[in-house]
Amino acid sequence: MTNSIRQSFGDTLTKLAKNNKNIFVVNADLKSSLFLNDFAKKFPRCFIECGVAENNAAAIAAGLAQTGKTVFLTSFACFSPAINWNTIKQSICYNNSNVKIIGSHAGLMSTDLGATHQMLEDLALMRSLPNMEVFSPLDALETEKIVKTVSFSKKPAYIRLVRPSTQNLFDPKFDFTIGKSHILQPGKNITIIGHGPILEEAFQVQAKLNLDDKYKKITLEIINCSSIKPLDTTTILKSVKKTGRLICLEDHQKNGGLGEAVASLILTNNLSCKFIHLAVDNSFGRSAKTYQELYNYYGIGVNDLLSAVKKIILK
Amino acid sequence: MLPFIKANPLQKVSQDLRHDLLDMIYKNGGHIGGSLSSIDLITAVYFGNLFNFKKDHFILSAGHLAPALYTVLANAGYFSKKLLDTYSSFDSILQHHISRDVPGVEYSSGSLGQGLSFACGLALGNPKHTTICLTSDGEHQEGQIWESLLFAKKYKLGNLINIVDFNQFQIDGPVSEIMPLDNLAAKYIQFGWTVTTVDGHNFNQIISALKNAKKSDYPNCIIAKTTIGKGVSFMENNFKYHDVKNLSEVLYNQAKSEL
Repeated sequence: MTNSIRQSFGDTLTKLAKNNKNIFVVNADLKSSLFLNDFAKKFPRCFIECGVAENNAAAIAAGLAQTGKTVFLTSFACFSPAINWNTIKQSICYNNSNVKIIGSHAGLMSTDLGATHQMLEDLALMRSLPNMEVFSPLDALETEKIVKTVSFSKKPAYIRLVRPSTQNLFDPKFDFTIGKSHILQPGKNITIIGHGPILEEAFQVQAKLNLDDKYKKITLEIINCSSIKPLDTTTILKSVKKTGRLICLEDHQKNGGLGEAVASLILTNNLSCKFIHLAVDNSFGRSAKTYQELYNYYGIGVNDLLSAVKKIILK
Repeated sequence: MLPFIKANPLQKVSQDLRHDLLDMIYKNGGHIGGSLSSIDLITAVYFGNLFNFKKDHFILSAGHLAPALYTVLANAGYFSKKLLDTYSSFDSILQHHISRDVPGVEYSSGSLGQGLSFACGLALGNPKHTTICLTSDGEHQEGQIWESLLFAKKYKLGNLINIVDFNQFQIDGPVSEIMPLDNLAAKYIQFGWTVTTVDGHNFNQIISALKNAKKSDYPNCIIAKTTIGKGVSFMENNFKYHDVKNLSEVLYNQAKSEL
């Protein structure tokens, strides 16, 4: 069963705005893409359209936030936070403004749009900023939970969204808590940590292992690290201590991605483990008809994860 | 015979402020040229009895003009004047570029071109009160300024006033050589703003322009023709005094006597 993360975002915000007149959207000409037509129609006073001017939009959002609003700054990740990084640094983070940056179409998942629109550096840009919290939802349901949670916080936040409809993976029994990761599947041998819909590959790999006599005893501990900053250090360290083997999987550049954050966390805590980071390695994206073609090309597809699992188990 | 024009009492206020400003920069260094060109404008905003900053807003977009705003705020009682001596020092809240950690400051800035957008957001979110922004002329080379001009027109921000400290110099030289702005007033008018051009060291003109701007239904730009380094002969119209690190005692004494 699949659902749209973007639609979940637009619907959740529209629902929240019914009971909170201080929720504002500052948009940069991508209302339809972010499923905000309904919001704009129902709450025209709270929907501010800036056109394709992402720097202006970021500082408008910060100024509005100063007047007591909770502002969602909406665009594609390849424009916001990519074009307006310094405005986010100064006007949003340094001024500690209550602005939630929504970067849609992140990663190779924007597929046919190609290199300019496949934002593979957003986490690097946002992780590096003081005061900024960074989230990457697993699926449509977790998107709803994250959007609700940050709407009650006063801090700057970045939420990374993807373009296609994706597999439902989040357990409805779970709540989202800032700084907490969820173990989607407990396991003994290898920790698989990642963020966003790409984690679905880990379940596919587990299914393949289960069918293979040589590997059927291997269990993967799959961790959904949707709270990229702050990180859930307890859950991550506990799992790595147990398994001694870690694969980090993400639709992002290696440089500045979750893998670097987790590797740094592990070394800082005097732990050592076998480590493979599956991510885009210092390359630009390109067009394709399906994102799976791109995942295979850039070495982050299901078969790449399966190979990494077989390799790390021997290490 | 010329008619007798009574000196505006703010003239005396700003003269005292210039002394404080010079002392502060003599001790700690700082952007003196633009601070001396803009201090009359900031003085008019804070001491002209036109605004109530419990409700109205002042945004210093050109964050390097912090010495001028800090001096005004200290003299307006927002914090102790003794703090001015600590400007730009390690343990001081008075950061080199303007910081909202300082009482009375609403927006931290230093990277140019963002403050007017922030001011638009404030004006939109707080429509019953006035938001005043101070930008520099060189700052208008940033594209974001023009994005915010479009926005202010679209959202009819009649409660927004942008004062441009038009001193015609920037860090590397004259604005007209680095990247000319040509007829800035015409550009603002074309963007749908109401524009007034004033002598930025004449308080009667500044106050009158602010009064009119406050009443306007359109976003308002006051282009204030100012002199970089105003009041100190060797600093006037000399871009070398955009920023000073170590002002010699001799020059300091000369500057003090001229003020």
